[in-house]
Amino acid sequence: MSLATRNALLALAITVAIIGTIIAAINQLDRQRIAELDAIQAQLATDTLSIETQFALLENAPCADLTVGTDLTNEVSSLGDRLNVAESRLGNDNPEVLRLKKQYTLLQIRDYILAQRIADTCDVEPVTALYFYSNEAGACDSCDRASYALSYLRQTYPQLRVYTFDYNLDLGALKTLIAVEKVEERFPAFVIEGERSYGFTDVESFQELFPEDLFATTSTSSTPVR
Amino acid sequence: MLTRTPALYMSLEILAYPFLFLGLYFEVFMLLTFLSAPAKERRMRSAALHTPKVAIIVPCWNEQDTIGGTVASLLALDYPADKLQIVLVNDGSTDNTKAVMDSYIGNPQITVVHQENGGKHTAINHGIEIAEDAEFVGCLDADSFVAADALREMIPCFDKPEVAAATPAMSVFQPKNMLEKMQNAEYIIGIAARHALSAVNGIYVTPGPFSFYRRSIIESLGGFKHAHQAEDMEMALRIQRAGYEIENAPRARVYTKVPRSVPKLIKQRTRWTSGFLRNVMTDYRDLVGNPKYGILGLMVLPLGFVAIVGGAFLFIVAMSSLVLNLVRTYTLTDGIPLSYTLLPRFSLEWFYLPATFLLLTSLVVGILSVSLVLIGRHVSNTPASIVIGIIGYTFIYAFIAPFWLMRSMYDVLTGKRRAWR
Repeated sequence: MSLATRNALLALAITVAIIGTIIAAINQLDRQRIAELDAIQAQLATDTLSIETQFALLENAPCADLTVGTDLTNEVSSLGDRLNVAESRLGNDNPEVLRLKKQYTLLQIRDYILAQRIADTCDVEPVTALYFYSNEAGACDSCDRASYALSYLRQTYPQLRVYTFDYNLDLGALKTLIAVEKVEERFPAFVIEGERSYGFTDVESFQELFPEDLFATTSTSSTPVR
Repeated sequence: MLTRTPALYMSLEILAYPFLFLGLYFEVFMLLTFLSAPAKERRMRSAALHTPKVAIIVPCWNEQDTIGGTVASLLALDYPADKLQIVLVNDGSTDNTKAVMDSYIGNPQITVVHQENGGKHTAINHGIEIAEDAEFVGCLDADSFVAADALREMIPCFDKPEVAAATPAMSVFQPKNMLEKMQNAEYIIGIAARHALSAVNGIYVTPGPFSFYRRSIIESLGGFKHAHQAEDMEMALRIQRAGYEIENAPRARVYTKVPRSVPKLIKQRTRWTSGFLRNVMTDYRDLVGNPKYGILGLMVLPLGFVAIVGGAFLFIVAMSSLVLNLVRTYTLTDGIPLSYTLLPRFSLEWFYLPATFLLLTSLVVGILSVSLVLIGRHVSNTPASIVIGIIGYTFIYAFIAPFWLMRSMYDVLTGKRRAWR
């Protein structure tokens, strides 16, 4: 075999090996991401339990002790970000991603209910927004823009609490929430301060859906964007 | 909240994969060949002690400013004066070249001839005719300068009788601006490439600055032709087709002046690239894909063609992707204050590492390209600071090269012919 032929074949083998290594490295990284999500899952369980405990305490505790601490912890709030990355890399039909997404959704619902309850009992008025999107092809052309606008509002006005839900997620609690809030299958869908609205045109019009006093005091948060 | 990656971007990215694979494959092949025994033997070759009679032809057209330096470097060559003839051929210059050349009349080593403008190939052929008793003839463009030991490094390439030509180690003469430094990095990759390819007889061009030829073979092949303004490439292909070999002298250093502005660079490279396409697609089509011509036919020429078409294609794809991204970003952020939109959002956490196939493969290709630059500099002992050149070559060249690739393809497809300068 001539030098040229030998090198040509060897180069092909090495190139395939390099490409294979790159693909394996990317797969390994994705597996590590899943493992990382699993670790956060343990945190999720603790947070869910914490919220349930707060529910129980609410019956007898004075409001002063309960109006703080219902925000999702920083670790858990970053799960939203990580879930996004995992979902975009592994696909929204990946069973592991789906499982974690359901747990995160459940936690959000619990936090939302608790926040509502504290608001009723203790006469505080947190501004909450429920945001429903759809990942199904062609179902929501303006969901990306709505997501971006909500991220901006949440970072600019930290007192705004945003709960984000995949409308099509197969989770009983979510279906119940959708039924209770009477959210139709039109996207993007919002429930802001109990009022339902659909569609997204621009940020200015979107801001009109929120109570004016939310924007009265501008404070910039250093909280990472979710 | 999920911000989705549209499927269109993914499909655009996939278009780059075959080209990345081929680029990676060619680089790996070059590195393997560089490490092979025949390449090592070439690197070990000592400078010649024997001194056959040689002639160096300097074709000139309007080179009044550089011809003096070129001749001075030739006269400084470490070679017996009675064995080295320098033939200056004025190809109908319209500036002061004639007067500058005439100032050398009387130097026993130098022959000065003037002819009506007939093109570079006619000037070289004229010089070869004059150098009738030279065993080897070399060409040196009048904007290039040789190192003193370059000729002695070149002569041993012809030890085997089947070697018809030999190429030097070419780099940029005193690169100053970014464009020159980028070209220097590219030329030094060329040194590594020609050195490796010479081990498998895959060289497809014998560049104007200081390539040498066995006179008897050049004469038997019929001298230089116009060859779509790529006479050096055409001669190399003709030599290969005739079954001869083309060698490389990795330490025969020659420094050439290069375009100092982007329009001039594009003009020069359009000439080279369209010359390659025209020769390979017409007169030398039979070499492409032909196993008889080994690596040249099966790899170098086909991949050269793929690089031209692929480079232009990928640029169009990348630009389309960029425009789509800009439109998408504008749509996404419309109405949001810039102070939020422009806030840096990178994260150092490994979880957010954007390790995509495109990025990692490009990284490997980039590392191998830098390796080739370092190898080229090392084997040729080229005294060059190349860091800025490598940075420019990596990040800027890709935005300039597609213009001459597209212009060349346009010229070839429409039959458009452009002036040399």
